[in-house]
Amino acid sequence: MRKEFLAAGRGGQGILILGHVLGLAAAKYTGLYVTGTESYDAETRGGDSRVDLIFTDSQDELDYFKVRSADIALFMYSDQLLKYRRLVGNEAIVFIDSSFHIPELRSSWQVYRVPYTDMAEEKLGTHVVANMIALGHIIRKTGLIDREAVISSIKEVVRKRWVSVDLKAFELGMELDP
Amino acid sequence: MRADYITTNIAIAEGAMAAGLMFYAGYPITPASDLFEYLASVLPSRNGVVAQFEDEIASINAVIGASWAGVKAMTATSGPGFSLMVEGLGLAIITEAPLVVVDIMRAGPSTGVPTKATQSDVYQVRFSSHGIYSIPVLVPWSAQEGFDLAVKAFNIAERLRTPVVLLSDAVLAHAWEKVSLRSSEEIQVVNRKKPKNLEEGMFPFKPENDLVPPMPCFGEGFGVKVESLSHDERGWYAPDNETYKKLVWRLVKKIENNMSLIWDSERYFTNDAEYAIVAYGSVARPAYAAVKEFRREGYKFGLYRLKTLWPFNDRDVANSLRKIKKVFVVENNEGKMYREIARSVKSAEVISVPLINLEVPPPEEIEEAVKEWL
Repeated sequence: MRKEFLAAGRGGQGILILGHVLGLAAAKYTGLYVTGTESYDAETRGGDSRVDLIFTDSQDELDYFKVRSADIALFMYSDQLLKYRRLVGNEAIVFIDSSFHIPELRSSWQVYRVPYTDMAEEKLGTHVVANMIALGHIIRKTGLIDREAVISSIKEVVRKRWVSVDLKAFELGMELDP
Repeated sequence: MRADYITTNIAIAEGAMAAGLMFYAGYPITPASDLFEYLASVLPSRNGVVAQFEDEIASINAVIGASWAGVKAMTATSGPGFSLMVEGLGLAIITEAPLVVVDIMRAGPSTGVPTKATQSDVYQVRFSSHGIYSIPVLVPWSAQEGFDLAVKAFNIAERLRTPVVLLSDAVLAHAWEKVSLRSSEEIQVVNRKKPKNLEEGMFPFKPENDLVPPMPCFGEGFGVKVESLSHDERGWYAPDNETYKKLVWRLVKKIENNMSLIWDSERYFTNDAEYAIVAYGSVARPAYAAVKEFRREGYKFGLYRLKTLWPFNDRDVANSLRKIKKVFVVENNEGKMYREIARSVKSAEVISVPLINLEVPPPEEIEEAVKEWL
């Protein structure tokens, strides 16, 4: 088994935390192997945040560090979709924050459009947990990592005062059924 | 044993602590600073000391002092900092102080591109100190190996009374991976030989059959003499040809004669291979992906990966590649280790594939470059 996961957002959207939660969940709470790389810019400058994660069930399958053909992708903004679409595989499951304008998509993709950011604002009173709604949605639709493993990982990675609202956001994402 | 999701820098810090690290001195430099920060946050609670000095020169000298005070000591830096440490490294070599220097390669010369990776320091770590010597250099390709080779680096340092370099790079440094962390009880930990009595302790540079002298340390009741000048077995200055020759030959041979303790390499798909890529460190990762892709396309490729760069094992390299027709040495520099491979392998055509790429050359770039020679 080998799954490539790509997530892109802007500084402050919690993309790196989402990646860290997933990576730790896999490494510590499942038998999977994982390689993760991140790149980011300053939040105040609104630069891109990008996380590449590669999950395998054997060490031999781990090679190059970066995503080349994502099986699962999350884009928080449309311009990132345009920028990174060459890294998304033809059969990919693609999650897009529809709070923002969405450009043309590849027809072979299985696409979920959810206004993660608006939903976070409306239901939980803060846009900053949009990442966890998206994470819940990804886990629900792809079964990439066991739900309990992700919950344990959230509790470990996220700062204490954010744990309960992040878990609520994660469960909200798990319940999404569009 | 516990599994965690950590960077190679943190894995190296964990490996060092498992091996018994008690003293770390350093000066912050990208991309090695977070290793320093991590140790500062955890080593004091294990009764160790972490100190920031005014520069890298002071740092490595403090590490030498700690080593002579009897504890396992380490510093970490990057190319520009290593340049400053070179003089101290020579002092560690001639005084036979066991210690570990972690070099996280970035792009040079000079300050270059601080946050990005190349493999440009593979000669610097081996040859930059003046004089006649040999020094072990280990090169991990994953976070797990960062842990494993940190343990090995300390064990070699202690066993052979020598500084050891652990050579990583900026991409590996900040790649997060699953690592199985073992405690000191779960790994083999080697400690330096001690003099058996006061008489033996009078000769801090008198070797046993393995060319390694037992090490009397400060505070253990010996009159310890630490001499950077050419010295005899008592540690007394001796500038005569015989003493000097004997000393530097021993410094070289205690490393080179213990090749089996230091050298390690791995082969993948080489049994029936006609072609082989030789790679090390971060570049071995995309090279491994490229080899698998070549196999899917029907080309019989294998990967020969170096886990040790120095001392260079001509015999293992020649043996491992003896059935190969064409050998491609892929590295993220202008073609440095290629010279060693080409010198060792007489049975095949050896081709240098230097791919300078600040992000590590992706598999496609390796495939494209190698295909030109097929």
